[in-house]
Amino acid sequence: MKFNKHALKENMTGYLFIAPQLILFLVFLVYPIIEGIRLSLYRINYTNEVFVGFENYQKLFQNPVFVKSTLNTVVFVVFIVALTVAFAMFVSAAVFDKNAKYVSFIRGSYYIPVMVSMVVMSMVWSFLLNPANGLIPYIAKQMEMSSVNFLGNPKTVLPVIIFVTFATNVGQAIILYIASMIGVPKELFEAAEVDGASRTTIIFKILIPLVKPTTIYIIIMNIIAVLKIFVVIQLLTGGGPNNASTTLMYFLYNNAFKFNQLGIASAVGVIMFLITLVLSVPQLRAMFKKD
Amino acid sequence: MSKNKNKRKRETVDVVANVIILFFAILNLFPLYWLFTSSLKNSSDVIKMPPDWFPKTISFDNYVDVFQNQPALQWTFNSIIVSLVSTVAVIVFSSMAAYAFSKLHFKGKNVIYIIFISSLMIPKEVMIVPLFRIIQDLGMVNSLNGMIWPNVATAFGVFLLKGFFDSIPDSLREAAKMDGAGEFYTFYKIIMPIVKPGIGALFILNFVQVWNDYLWQLVVGQSEESKTLMVGIASLMQDLNPNFAYKMAGATVAAIPMLVIFICFQKYFTKGLAIGAEKG
Repeated sequence: MKFNKHALKENMTGYLFIAPQLILFLVFLVYPIIEGIRLSLYRINYTNEVFVGFENYQKLFQNPVFVKSTLNTVVFVVFIVALTVAFAMFVSAAVFDKNAKYVSFIRGSYYIPVMVSMVVMSMVWSFLLNPANGLIPYIAKQMEMSSVNFLGNPKTVLPVIIFVTFATNVGQAIILYIASMIGVPKELFEAAEVDGASRTTIIFKILIPLVKPTTIYIIIMNIIAVLKIFVVIQLLTGGGPNNASTTLMYFLYNNAFKFNQLGIASAVGVIMFLITLVLSVPQLRAMFKKD
Repeated sequence: MSKNKNKRKRETVDVVANVIILFFAILNLFPLYWLFTSSLKNSSDVIKMPPDWFPKTISFDNYVDVFQNQPALQWTFNSIIVSLVSTVAVIVFSSMAAYAFSKLHFKGKNVIYIIFISSLMIPKEVMIVPLFRIIQDLGMVNSLNGMIWPNVATAFGVFLLKGFFDSIPDSLREAAKMDGAGEFYTFYKIIMPIVKPGIGALFILNFVQVWNDYLWQLVVGQSEESKTLMVGIASLMQDLNPNFAYKMAGATVAAIPMLVIFICFQKYFTKGLAIGAEKG
């Protein structure tokens, strides 16, 4: 009896400690997910809601702008994530065993653009790429390139956005890789060196396989980050020219806050939610295996 | 002999790689150099071609303009409040929850923790429509509260701090309880001081993340007075004003606090981010 009372008290204490976080979690995370799924099945006109089943989803797949947004988002995810992982791996593998000051300089210079945010970096790039008075079109003209309006040309707009996003955010992956590579026990390299293995061999055969958990983490984090790519689109292209650079998040935002299509916007949100949920499964599984 | 040759070749590859890396590291800072120097030029010099690689005359007029023509001071104040309150609330709430998940025993603990952590990777932006409607119902549109509280619902802090609490032996808590200390006292006075490095890392990561957040603040803060710095300076960009130096000055104002934080607390970034990845 006494023991039970003790357990009850311990239970209560536990619930009290998690209560504030749990309440916020329910109000601002769980409820919006459920409400989002519900809204995606309705046609919404201000306060008037009509149940329409999957009509919003059907409309979406018939909407060429949505299809374009999806394709662009996929292109962004594939290229930006591939570039980020490859370049961050290259930088970190070459740098991690050098002297601490050099490592911290390299890490700092790649991470500073991450720090100052995508908003600020998009503003600078927008100025640098401005066809009338930007530095990059000026240099392109000097080099006698025919087209210098890189953001206004549907052929160049995607590569430019891929590059800008990659260059701004690669520092995050570099920090993670360097930390992970510094943690690899030195004896493993020394043993291989004694056997006459070259640095390149050591990197590919020992280092990269050993940091695989970091690679998986970086890939998943970056896929999710690029999936919701928005700032750079809004500030550099506004989705243009002629929807050539629109993305899922930009499409969602416009439908929700410009065109007042809340049902459609919710359906896009639900699709994105399901994608992130599926993507986070391997990471979550790895986390719980450890516990 | 052959081993020596091998060693020299190995170093050549390494040197070439590092030269490339160094080159790109400096190139990667160029946009920021351009941002900063452009903000010090006048409206005609900034678009002059060929450009001045170094500003010929240095003027702070654009900064004065940003603060005089726009409520930039109000924006800065809003950003500080939103980032600071979000971060303090994240620390208080998630350290309590992380402590409970790590050290206390209660029914449903593991299930609740798993549900919590499953939300870790889901960005709040995908639920922006229902989230905005909640904020509307709570009367928090155009208010800093509307920007703050959804940020605090993140599970990241719980996840980060639980790792720190887990590394503290249970015997410490039991000893405190033996001495008759209450649970909250044990948590606050005995355990919390030990996890200070974790709190520090969480504080900085969270502050920077909220400061740099854009979409949610854009949606909630629609009136001129409720804009945050990020939303405010981005609105300068979309402004018809053709003076780029002025826009760059606005962007610099938003960037400088983050540069200062990074220079002062670089260690926390390296550590804090790595902890997130390691535990994952």
